[in-house]
Amino acid sequence: MTTPKVKFDPVSQEYFDNPYEIYQRMRDEAPLYYDEDEDFYALTRHEDVAAALKDHEAFSSSRGCDLAMVRSEEGPQKSIIFMDPPEHRFMRSLLNKAFTPRAIQSQRETVVELVEHYLSQADPDNFDVVQDFSGPFPVEVITRMAGVPEEYRQQVRHWIDQGLEREPGQLGISERNMQAHIESGMYYYSLVQERRKNPQDDMISRLIAAEIPGENGEMRRLDDIEITGFVGLLGGAGAETVTKLVGSAVVEFAKHPDQWQMLLDDRSLIPDAVEELLRYVGPVQYNVRYTLKEAHVPSGTIPAHKPVFLMKAAANRDPRAFTNAEKFDITRDRTEAQNLGLGYGIHSCLGAALARLETSIALEHLLDFMPRYEVDFDGLERVHMQNVAGYSRVPVRVLK
Amino acid sequence: MTQKIVVDFGLCEANGVCMGILPEVFDLDDQDYLHVLQDEVTPEIEQQVKEAVRQCPRQAISIREE
Repeated sequence: MTTPKVKFDPVSQEYFDNPYEIYQRMRDEAPLYYDEDEDFYALTRHEDVAAALKDHEAFSSSRGCDLAMVRSEEGPQKSIIFMDPPEHRFMRSLLNKAFTPRAIQSQRETVVELVEHYLSQADPDNFDVVQDFSGPFPVEVITRMAGVPEEYRQQVRHWIDQGLEREPGQLGISERNMQAHIESGMYYYSLVQERRKNPQDDMISRLIAAEIPGENGEMRRLDDIEITGFVGLLGGAGAETVTKLVGSAVVEFAKHPDQWQMLLDDRSLIPDAVEELLRYVGPVQYNVRYTLKEAHVPSGTIPAHKPVFLMKAAANRDPRAFTNAEKFDITRDRTEAQNLGLGYGIHSCLGAALARLETSIALEHLLDFMPRYEVDFDGLERVHMQNVAGYSRVPVRVLK
Repeated sequence: MTQKIVVDFGLCEANGVCMGILPEVFDLDDQDYLHVLQDEVTPEIEQQVKEAVRQCPRQAISIREE
């Protein structure tokens, strides 16, 4: 009997339920995975994914970062994640000073306040880590930095969730997805107009005032559409990711209570725990690139003009790169290989330091709130989304 | 032939990973500006410099042969 050829369908129920089993088969059996039905490639081994992330000349972002976008004739909206150098560099330099590890320390108090606020309202006997806590708090931080007024901040995460949702079998953008993109786009657009009249100390106002080199070499301002796209991305990338990481953290520590105990005994291990969570259950599963020319990675050659899935979550559990890669271990040697959970290279996560800060503070406070807890594993619900994975419900009971 | 540390300051975003690996060579100041205190790659620091090159999340550091 022969095993059927491994199939990676990014919108199948099987994949949503357990991506890691499919990743293992892809790494072992088809490191240069080619999907004949949908005409795309996928890379899963660490050395291949890392090489592709470095080679932004061959693996371009300019056509978009998900399959539907890369295939579309119109091309993606203007956004920093859909740019190659030099445009990418100009855009990134407008905000990157605000996200350095040092600069982001200024957000510590805000994060602590929000984390304490949501935990103070939580019911220890009936606590949903995602719905009651890791969903609501991160979006408040990033939208406040961006300049979204308080009454709209929670709405932002509902738009994000609705925009990323994929029904099993749905590869393209649905009307429901589109509706969320349009509504949030219109909202941000009106906010940009408002800030033009009335500048504040926030990122929207900073983007309005900023200049980048234009095509003719002369400096130019960003237009409203460019700013709308940038702010929409910040709100998205800066919220639902930490939501998922913290939700998955609680599930993993429930499966590994000895490691939760290690954190209870020694809080200085929290940063290591955050790194291991990013490796083991990092929310971003993949980003899609498009080959502008024939592309070479250690496992072989990919022809020009193909969509390629760079599967970071698969690479992060590659036993060729990490010892006991499938084992969750907060004490592991982090220098063995590059953790790809926050990306690598020119498009690596702009908000990496903020993600680490938020997750660390969330863990610190959860250790106090629920030193002993159990997860209702039957009550777990996973999200079905484009390129990210995690839970939408993590019901927990705090033990006395 | 000597080896020199080269930093692309357009890519550097002051993550400080290099400083964590080799503070004698990589120093971030209060303005988040990275200073390379010694740009020559000597045999004593070669392994750590290579580690910094590899671990830089921005891939902003490289080694140039001169």
